[in-house]
Amino acid sequence: MREKNSQETLRRHAAQFSYVAPNIAVLIKHVPETENLKIDEKTGTVVRKGQNAIVNPMDLYAIEAALTVKDKNHKTDITVITMGPPNAERSLREALSMGCDNAVLISGREFAGSDTFATSLVLSRVIKGLKNYDLILCGERATDGDTGQVGPAVASFLDYPVITYVSNFKLNTNNSGEFIASVDRIVEEGIEHYEAELPVVLTISKAIGVPRIPTLSGKKRAKKAVIKNIGFNPELFGEDEVGLNGSPTRVIKLYRPKVKRNPLIIIPKNEEEIEAAADKLIDFLKNEAGIV
Amino acid sequence: MPEHSGYSRINQRIAEELKSIVGRANVIFADREKLEPYSHDEVAEDMHFSLPEAVVKPESALEISRIMKLANRYMISVTPRGAGSGLSGGAIPVYGGIVLSFERMNRVLNIDLDNLMVEVEPGVVTNTINEELKEYGLMFAGYPMSLETCFIGGNVAENAGGGKAIKYGVTSRYIMGLEFVTAEGEIIKLGGKVRKNVTGYDLIHLLAGSEGTLGIFTKITLSLVPIPGFRAVLLALFKSTEDAISVVPGLLRVGKIIPASIEYMDRLSVTTTCEYLNEVLPYRDSEAMLLIEIDGKTEDEVSRDYEVVGDICLKKGAFEVYVADNKTTIERVWSVRRNIAEAFKVDTAHQSLEDIVVPTASIPDFMKDLQALAVKNGVDIPCYGHAGDGNLHATVLKPKLWDEEKWLKKLDTVLKELYRITVGYGGEISGEHGIGSKRKKYIGINLSQGTIELMKRIKKAFDPNNILNPGKIFPDI
Repeated sequence: MREKNSQETLRRHAAQFSYVAPNIAVLIKHVPETENLKIDEKTGTVVRKGQNAIVNPMDLYAIEAALTVKDKNHKTDITVITMGPPNAERSLREALSMGCDNAVLISGREFAGSDTFATSLVLSRVIKGLKNYDLILCGERATDGDTGQVGPAVASFLDYPVITYVSNFKLNTNNSGEFIASVDRIVEEGIEHYEAELPVVLTISKAIGVPRIPTLSGKKRAKKAVIKNIGFNPELFGEDEVGLNGSPTRVIKLYRPKVKRNPLIIIPKNEEEIEAAADKLIDFLKNEAGIV
Repeated sequence: MPEHSGYSRINQRIAEELKSIVGRANVIFADREKLEPYSHDEVAEDMHFSLPEAVVKPESALEISRIMKLANRYMISVTPRGAGSGLSGGAIPVYGGIVLSFERMNRVLNIDLDNLMVEVEPGVVTNTINEELKEYGLMFAGYPMSLETCFIGGNVAENAGGGKAIKYGVTSRYIMGLEFVTAEGEIIKLGGKVRKNVTGYDLIHLLAGSEGTLGIFTKITLSLVPIPGFRAVLLALFKSTEDAISVVPGLLRVGKIIPASIEYMDRLSVTTTCEYLNEVLPYRDSEAMLLIEIDGKTEDEVSRDYEVVGDICLKKGAFEVYVADNKTTIERVWSVRRNIAEAFKVDTAHQSLEDIVVPTASIPDFMKDLQALAVKNGVDIPCYGHAGDGNLHATVLKPKLWDEEKWLKKLDTVLKELYRITVGYGGEISGEHGIGSKRKKYIGINLSQGTIELMKRIKKAFDPNNILNPGKIFPDI
């Protein structure tokens, strides 16, 4: 541990003088394939039994973003991290096969039932204990929970800045040789541009580019790779900080919203009626639908 | 529409009779705009289009029987039509008359879990069958590239092949029972839920692939297989077609693996389709790509197999092999393959999508000849298809600067030569799309006069008045 720390210090020192490769952590989630997703209306949770699970599709963009950095600088080190059931290992191996370097699985019965708050707390504690990451990349949100909270929450627990909905970014170096992230963020009004010192948390949007397909050699490498397992560690977490106990979120009720449609269909019988029909339509759009 | 002295035109009175059989709402007559969609299939060139005089939408074998009796009485031609996704003009009413559309006969009648069979009406979309079977862990193994739109009746009529023939065979392999109406209006039932049957002639397999010229299907019994537990797709990039094709025999012989699919795509096919779909497959410098699907019971089994297959590809000169092993990525890769025909059609309506099939070992030599043919005639002929079974969709494209007259004349020359080359390798001019109206004038290049005469005698026995889908397969009837 001491040796690793001293290496880390060296690396930090070196960063001030010369160009060093960044360390990136990518946080991913193992989610059910959405094709035939079922929700248990009683408990309000996703029925996972018998479901194929995959890397959250939105997280693939975060992985792709990290790999794009590595494409330019081969010394970039990418650690992919997930918290989930033991079979979430499959998603980690998928990320490794795409080109990530290391994988960490946080798994244990104590973590079950964690909401985004508890999940983010656990992730941030683990991240702190692993390495000084320059960049922490997340997907925009997960296709199952759909909250988009974990990225920003991890940033807040780590006290790092966060930029969400990133559509493009690159790493530049300033005069002292430190990395500066030059980031575009896609918002409804257009693109916002930020310059951020590292470390920073970015949540990556689809606009970043299409995720790559793993190669055969990547698959073989991933199959053999050793995944670091982290279980519940009382020194790291309090029992009331994780799982259901650590989760302030309560699902009160789950139901399917009813969509009410009141369409207006006007069929003019002849040419003369067209104008009156158009008036009626305009009146409907204005007064009933409130569109124009 | 070509004049044909033998047939009567449909007048108001006959139209009323048709309405009395199937109901007023289920006959389209004297409404050009509504008849127009039934005048073509997916064959691109509009010279193959032909307007029907009436479209009739029956609901049962009994109604079809009455329609056929009427058609015989008045001498009106009848063209059965599925989804209209055919590629040989099989569903085009060459002589006008009635188009019999199966859009209302679209029920999955019975899923028999004990016998592992499904009974369907001909108008069911092929993909729907598998959607309904999914929850039982079963599937119908046919995989035509148009599966999201085509009807199972059309698949049977053309004996559709598709992407998984190398492992699962073609449509006819799964047809255990067939109910059909003869051209004269008799309802006949063949086979059933039995898996062996040599009682009398094998009419089921005569009707499968008969292109709607021998009988009108009303109920189809298909045998089912278990859905493979796990699938993976390899996308292998090669510098040359020879390298790519050289993989095929090795997979079975050396790897001892039968992939579910081995699909070939050349550079132009991939780039055109990626552009059409806004897709960014990493095709890079490849001149030829193979899409190889492996399926099996478990993830371990499949991943062992795809490593073997991938290594053979690398050994035979692939410079990269990609692996898709989740539904999303698998679908992404397959979607490129399935959309090639559509992508070229968006590019130009002047083209001829071909369907030749050669012995697999002849593919590399055939591809060289195809290239020479393209160069000699100054046309592009991108090529893609089912490398696993030798069925290649060479697509002749009209050069932008040529006028239509020059193009059609040249196309005729190119097709004749293409077919002669194919036959020279012991191949056939259509593997799965059919002869239809599109290729009928070329059938003599492929089949001997004696063979054609024998086939015509069969046609005569099934349809003495030649009213059922006339103008197909043979150039002169």
